[in-house]
Amino acid sequence: MKKIKRLYLVFSVVAGLIGLLLIFLLFPKEYFFKASLILIIPLSCLGISFRMITRHRVRLIRKQLYQIIQTLEDFDVDEPTDVQFDDSPFPLFNELNEYLIELIDRIRSNFQANKQFTQNASHELQTPLAIIKGNAELLLQSPNIKEKEMEAIGVVLQNVNRLAKLNGALILLSKIEHSRFADNAKISFIQTIETTLKNFKDIIRIQEITIEKNYEADFVQEMSETLAETLFNNLFQNAIRYNIVENGVIFITTNTKQCIISNPGKSPKSEPINLFKRFKRESDIEESLGLGLSIVQSICEQSGLDINYTYKNNLHSLTIQRK
Amino acid sequence: MKVLLIEDEPDLLRLMHRYLKKEGYLCEEAKTFKEGFIKINNFEYECAVIDLNLPGGDGLKLVDIMRSENTHTGIIIISARDKIEDRIKGLDMGADDYLTKPFNLSELNARIKAIMRRKTNQFDQLLNFGNLIINLDERKVVADGKVLQLTKKEYNILLYLARNKNRVVTKDSIAEHLWGDYMDNAVSFDFIYAHVKNLRKKLVENNCGEYLKTVYGIGYKFEAV
Repeated sequence: MKKIKRLYLVFSVVAGLIGLLLIFLLFPKEYFFKASLILIIPLSCLGISFRMITRHRVRLIRKQLYQIIQTLEDFDVDEPTDVQFDDSPFPLFNELNEYLIELIDRIRSNFQANKQFTQNASHELQTPLAIIKGNAELLLQSPNIKEKEMEAIGVVLQNVNRLAKLNGALILLSKIEHSRFADNAKISFIQTIETTLKNFKDIIRIQEITIEKNYEADFVQEMSETLAETLFNNLFQNAIRYNIVENGVIFITTNTKQCIISNPGKSPKSEPINLFKRFKRESDIEESLGLGLSIVQSICEQSGLDINYTYKNNLHSLTIQRK
Repeated sequence: MKVLLIEDEPDLLRLMHRYLKKEGYLCEEAKTFKEGFIKINNFEYECAVIDLNLPGGDGLKLVDIMRSENTHTGIIIISARDKIEDRIKGLDMGADDYLTKPFNLSELNARIKAIMRRKTNQFDQLLNFGNLIINLDERKVVADGKVLQLTKKEYNILLYLARNKNRVVTKDSIAEHLWGDYMDNAVSFDFIYAHVKNLRKKLVENNCGEYLKTVYGIGYKFEAV
């Protein structure tokens, strides 16, 4: 806007100077004053009215832009209500609105197709998986089965299970990304950590891992309860799996600003930024799906949280903060 | 004991039938809502396994009908719907248990037994295998006349294997039984190994070592007559 104003000023000064120059050249000296008045008064009237019209139009344009932004802000991809834009006196805006409506329709139908696919995938894949799994299990029970065959069935079972878990994890990821969780509440991280740790009680005991809690203050966030539990389940699973074999330890720190889970371990092989990518596996552990941290990141993203990974002094740390 | 299986997927239906038949159950099949409805109305069953997505109607309705007419039939819902709300809805309707597909047959078997024990008082309160006795009411295991000091997980593993006696039970199925499906196999398999090692040590010390067999690379088996 400032630039336009300065342009106005320069333009009017130049125009005035040129006008004066023309009068000076064309008229005799004694008429100079009168002639310049005759010229300047209508010119400045024109200028002022022109300025007022532009200002009005700029205001109108700004108002309509804000309207569009408001409509886009209110737009929920999962709501079936139609998006409406007011008719505008500017044809350009009407054209823009048309494109926007078209775009929104396309996004909506893509979203619906994606959602449909997720639901179908979860339902339609699970049944055949159950059948393969069950038949393999049944084969295992045959009385005269040889060791070699047993081994083969074992491999089949292992992979079917992996497939089922993979399917489950991908469906979960997609569910998170489409915000399919409605159980939002004010979540106390300390409470969630305590509940989730219970699941790992035996594991922590058997592996002789020490838990070092440092609860300075609670970290409270408005988010889905299910997702909060999934988040810490995944974080603790990693903290256990990538811990050192002897004298393992998990540090938990919470305060009003952040929540940090860290554990000692071998230095990561890949760049920290890649760790959150799907199927980026750090371990040689065959059963690892390589989706844990992707799920963690997805949950944080959906819940208005930021997650960062650092590796310092042999310590893997994952820090959760508010966005 | 009579069990009604209502499931529209023929392969899965046959599979459950075969597995449960070996357990000594008398199984009847229904492939549609209507078939299920007719069987429920005309016969008495100790237990019903009901799929939710049925041609001709919602399995939940069948649960409702069964519950409004009699209370003693054990009902297990099997479904691909894994949302918590679905679970709650099913259990609210009066189902005794809810299994999400794909489930392990050994899990289904164990759940049926657990429900039957809850429903009927005389149904195996004691699992007696000679010198090893599992007391389900007190959650106690007596080996060679001595009460074993087992952790909760060890007891659960032993009970799960015993309920599936003489069958190979996969590590994966044990993991799911103990922790649900939130635990990654990479972590859980180590723990099962550790738990079973401790459990076996305690059994061997009390001359009961021969019950628990390892099936290399696959899982474990509880062998008993």
